[in-house]
Amino acid sequence: MTTLPTKQNKKLGLVIDLDICVGCHACAVNCKEWNTSGHSSPLHDIDPYGDDPTGVWFNRIHTFEVESEINGSKTVHFPKSCLHCSDAPCVTVCPTGASYKREEDGIVLVNPDTCIGCKLCSWSCPYGAREYDEEAGIMKKCTLCVDKIYNENIPEADRVPACVSTCPAGARSFGDLGDENSEIFKLVKERNGYDLMPEQDCAPTNKYLPPREKNNQFSSNKLQSITEEKEITFDSWKEIIENASK
Amino acid sequence: MHPSKSIIFFTVFSGTGYGILICLSFLAFLTNINFDSNFKLNLIIATFVFISSGLLSSTLHLGHPERAWRSFSQWKSSWLSREGLAAVITFLPLMIFYLLWYLDNFFYIYFLHLTSILCLITIYCTGQMYATLKTIPAWNNKLVTPIYTINAICMGALTAYCFTRFYEFEINYLYHLTIVSLSLCLFMKLVYWYIISKKIISTANSATGLGGNNNISLFEGPHTGKNFLTTEMINKIKKEKANFLRLCFSVLTCILPIYMIIQEPSLIIDSFILKLTFFLVLIFALIGMLLERYLFFIQAKHTVSLYYGENKV
Repeated sequence: MTTLPTKQNKKLGLVIDLDICVGCHACAVNCKEWNTSGHSSPLHDIDPYGDDPTGVWFNRIHTFEVESEINGSKTVHFPKSCLHCSDAPCVTVCPTGASYKREEDGIVLVNPDTCIGCKLCSWSCPYGAREYDEEAGIMKKCTLCVDKIYNENIPEADRVPACVSTCPAGARSFGDLGDENSEIFKLVKERNGYDLMPEQDCAPTNKYLPPREKNNQFSSNKLQSITEEKEITFDSWKEIIENASK
Repeated sequence: MHPSKSIIFFTVFSGTGYGILICLSFLAFLTNINFDSNFKLNLIIATFVFISSGLLSSTLHLGHPERAWRSFSQWKSSWLSREGLAAVITFLPLMIFYLLWYLDNFFYIYFLHLTSILCLITIYCTGQMYATLKTIPAWNNKLVTPIYTINAICMGALTAYCFTRFYEFEINYLYHLTIVSLSLCLFMKLVYWYIISKKIISTANSATGLGGNNNISLFEGPHTGKNFLTTEMINKIKKEKANFLRLCFSVLTCILPIYMIIQEPSLIIDSFILKLTFFLVLIFALIGMLLERYLFFIQAKHTVSLYYGENKV
């Protein structure tokens, strides 16, 4: 059914620490690696070795420049994957019931056998978590590595999503965000973890931890532009060099 | 949003077919619509071709059209499912109406009204499917569903009017209905364009959560090429081009037909010119409506663009 479960026993999700993430893209690569042979396999690539390659990825890392009055300028690496929302709009818009949220752990999945590939779920997701597989003609998305976290054939320590187990910096945590006694819940509370786009009313499960404020002598000094012109053209460089050589 | 050809064709053509039926049902309250059987047959074929070609086209954008039947199951929660179901159910009274109308059986009138209610429900479901998407501020708008409805009604009225010109036939009140609905359509679009130019739902700050007043800009995208999200949901059109297309729509679909309908007495001298004129009026109006639907998609910004360099949506 495409209605949301009335109760959720668990809220499995990720917590991403933007203070730690170094933007190495290892989580995205390992996500592709695991999932291309897992529940949603294969994650097709189109024109992979050509001029204009595209393909299905469940996790993508954006990098933002944040300019603030107090902290100056900083670079923030921002990994983004499905947030497994409690009020997931992608589930209720599905006309076939292929898109569903599991009652037992809150994971949002797509049934590849009943998806008709209408793409409406991808339109309804504010975060761009869903990606359409052109070759397979169906929608695909992060499964929270449902085929890894419950897999009894692998050591217990490895039963976490691929993005979490591969992160070299430890920026990603996995756990039950519905359990107030869990380590991950305490972490979110302690570090003021927040929701992305709360105004969209999706109640995302995944939380983001903000970068810590860096109060040192350099942080408040904004870099000064060496030219008054906003756009630096070849001529303006020539002028600067000429002025400097005088 | 990516303007998918099959969806644009679907809304314009099925909408026109539904619109003709809604207009007939409306006119039935005012006048006798038991026309001569030749004209009836023309309208029957036209509405059927418009509606079914549109519906067939709508399945073309699916990844798995052969599974389309599955979409009838989730009518409790999904507007798309309701739309599909309503569109299919409409065919039942429609077929009975066609038969009874053609055979001059008086009961056709009940089936016509029933069909037209179901047509309105189908259009309402289509509109709601877009209007309930909070991620796209240009669509999450109270005017979207009424515009879908008026688009269908004015195109239906105009098509029926052009048909009366081709077959030299008169339907009372259709003249007024066509002019009023076309004017209303243009008026609602003007209001809609004004509203969407003002509305903002989300910003890059709320999308990343990186501070309320900080200036946030994309430093590096996740990859150098395109992906599904950028091709499907991040499409841009230059403002000048969009304004030109808006003008084209206003002239081709609303102003030109109204002008020609009012100027018609001066054309009556030559029946061939009259027919040709109204044939072109109909074609141009359809082209204008296709442009309007194209703009509806291409000008709609999705919140995902906030992760790809946009500052506010």
